[in-house]
Amino acid sequence: MVGVPFINPLSLEGREMVRQLGSLEDLTHDNPELIGIVTRSKSQDISDDQDIPRNHLELALKRLEWYVKKRNNPNFNYRKYAFLFQGDIEKFDTISFYLLSQAIGVKFGPNSRESRLMAESQGSLIQNRLEELNTRNREEIVLKALQELLSQGTLKWTFFEDLLSSRRIQLSDLVLDQGEVIMDQDDFRERLGPRLHHRDPDKMYQLLIGEELRELILIQMVMQQTENYMAEVHEKSRLMVEPNPLLLQLADGVTEILTQPTPSYTGTGKVARQSYRGPLNREAFPPCVKTALEGIKSGGRNDAIVLFITPFVSYARLCPDIFKQNVTVRVSDKDPQLQVVHQEVLPLIYEAAERCVPPLFEDQPQEKININAKIGFGMHSTLKLENEGETKWYTPMSCEKIKLHLPYLCRPDDDCKKIGNPLIYYNRKNWILSREQAESGDKKEDEGSSGEEVMENQDNDWIDV
Amino acid sequence: MEFQRATPEERRLYYREEWDVKQIPRFIRDSLYQREFGFDHHGRGPNDRYRTFRNEDHLRKFMRYRTPFAAYTSVAFYQKPNRREGWIKSELVFDVDAKDLPIRSCACDSVCELCLDQAKNIVSDLKDTLTSDLGLKEIYMIYSGRGYHLRVQDEEVLGTDSEVRSQIVKYLVGAEVPRSEYGQEGITYNLEHFAIPFGYHQVFTQRIKQSILHLTMETALDDVNKKLLKDVIKNRHLLLKDQWGPFRQAIGPIRYKRLTKGLAFTNLGLVDAKVSIDLKRILRLPSSLHSMVSMKCTEVKNLNTFDPFQDAVPQFVYERKD
Ligand code: SF4
Ligand SMILES: [Zn+2]
Repeated sequence: MVGVPFINPLSLEGREMVRQLGSLEDLTHDNPELIGIVTRSKSQDISDDQDIPRNHLELALKRLEWYVKKRNNPNFNYRKYAFLFQGDIEKFDTISFYLLSQAIGVKFGPNSRESRLMAESQGSLIQNRLEELNTRNREEIVLKALQELLSQGTLKWTFFEDLLSSRRIQLSDLVLDQGEVIMDQDDFRERLGPRLHHRDPDKMYQLLIGEELRELILIQMVMQQTENYMAEVHEKSRLMVEPNPLLLQLADGVTEILTQPTPSYTGTGKVARQSYRGPLNREAFPPCVKTALEGIKSGGRNDAIVLFITPFVSYARLCPDIFKQNVTVRVSDKDPQLQVVHQEVLPLIYEAAERCVPPLFEDQPQEKININAKIGFGMHSTLKLENEGETKWYTPMSCEKIKLHLPYLCRPDDDCKKIGNPLIYYNRKNWILSREQAESGDKKEDEGSSGEEVMENQDNDWIDV
Repeated sequence: MEFQRATPEERRLYYREEWDVKQIPRFIRDSLYQREFGFDHHGRGPNDRYRTFRNEDHLRKFMRYRTPFAAYTSVAFYQKPNRREGWIKSELVFDVDAKDLPIRSCACDSVCELCLDQAKNIVSDLKDTLTSDLGLKEIYMIYSGRGYHLRVQDEEVLGTDSEVRSQIVKYLVGAEVPRSEYGQEGITYNLEHFAIPFGYHQVFTQRIKQSILHLTMETALDDVNKKLLKDVIKNRHLLLKDQWGPFRQAIGPIRYKRLTKGLAFTNLGLVDAKVSIDLKRILRLPSSLHSMVSMKCTEVKNLNTFDPFQDAVPQFVYERKD
């Protein structure tokens, strides 16, 4: 049976482990106990010494490295990290968690790419750790960990405001009654049972609120708390004279992991061709984008500019391969000073807005705010880095959605047959154009398996019409 | 009853003889100084914005003197409302416009008694869900002149961001087909939305029931062809007795899935989501005149007995010559 800190290092028990800790310096020394646990782990690959963390610091980095590697390559060697799923590593793991969170909190602060990765990796670790357990242990530990997190008597849905805001859970995933979230079986039976006809309330509970939802909530809450913890650390560190050099050293290690060149892989394991990146190439725009950029002369100006052109232009310029990535991206990850946004992205959007009849901002200046919101900078009239993350960076809508809601924009040409999202059109066209340009004799490459087709229909952001 | 534009003279009559500042609901008067006001003086949109009033008397004088074509106030509370700065919180609002209902059984090109009544029923359903599911209590209903506003004042939601509000909207209108497949210990169970009489599943069932009952052969639903539409209309009487199982049977499970998907999507149009997620929105001021249609924007105390053609018609309309 594993302990709660193995799942939630921020639990009382986990915090206690850290409190009992001696000096930070000790954590850099080789730790035979740790090495022992690692090398004895079930199915651990011990062929390379590099893969064996020798102290807390190295373990901390391994935690993150595992996540980054796994994310970038589904075929990575899991056996190099088997120790992470070994219950007896709990004590070391918990302390490593705090080290890493503190390092990231101090150096990169909340809302950074690093802090998001940290929270995501924690979520992924919990998920994988739970999957290693047998059904009974799994259920038991989830209940135990949740109990502590949900210790107050009634649980109002507004308690999940953060999770709802970051879209980690959907309001419709929760079972709500009178403003309360029903999580407890007795509660469920008592309050909702009488409404059920010919159905067993306990069975219904198992299905609706069963293990799955409980795990989801547990994982999401720990992820959120991890983020909050890093934010707290960041606040405190600003009052400190100087952070511990050990933490800074660890932060450098984090940077190193994140900057390791990672080829992107397709579902089939082949290396995908690179997406075009660089100044916008208008020649490669699909017909719908070209039409919208000419300005909308009749109704539907707002949606065309705010919901369609804004996500398209921003992603095409800054992150054309978004559908191949499975981590959330922010504009500042791609354009830290927001230079490109101000000099290329916004001007093109404004130009399209200007060309509308009547010009969009003339009667609806507030749409500038909505444009900022759609690229992730909250509802503000000026686009400022400090507001980033208040809203989400909306991904470009699919052809299907366009045909439905902005039908006057879609005038498909031959290239449209092969794609399901204008952004994929753009990537593909750029690739074709560059190949035509190169005009070197060599024959077709792996056209069929570019990996883009896999996720081309993604546009789950596009909801709030 | 005709919806006729009010003349400047009629506006004057209204604000000098009929209107009283006390007709503005308490929840607005109590926070007057924290709100931004916007006015439309000539019927070309609210371009006189960033107005603020220190107290009721200033507002009263302004209205009587300027007799605006339309008056609005922010859902947001600000430290400096005259600059829209120092945002404190925003009411949670829902705008149900009879003219923009996605499925209407009337065929009018603006609003009529039928679609206004339909809007009223929708508002009543939304309000029920706000209370029964989200536990919200301080909910005000306003007749806007062409539909209804729901304005929620419960402190616990006033600070929520656009994202949370957009989730509330989706929940309330039933914008997504609820999950129907549930797995447990390797076995998959099928639980259709109508088998679960609470929570989001129930909300969804109620919303699409209303939609189905209002469908006409002219309704355009995503991925639903005329044949399917016809069969739905033919069998919808079953839903009057909540016989969902037989209804689904009659339609066929695959087509039923298409139907629910199409309906879920149109449900998004039940409210204007842009209004709900915009934290700095201005909304028509209750008690003010909707000059375009010559109706009063007015608080609705009892939705059941409220009749816009009785309770929202200003005096001057009765005195019109023709
Ligand atoms: S098919 Fe897609 S890419 Fe082509 S014009 Fe239509 S919406 Fe644009
Ligand atoms: Zn009508």
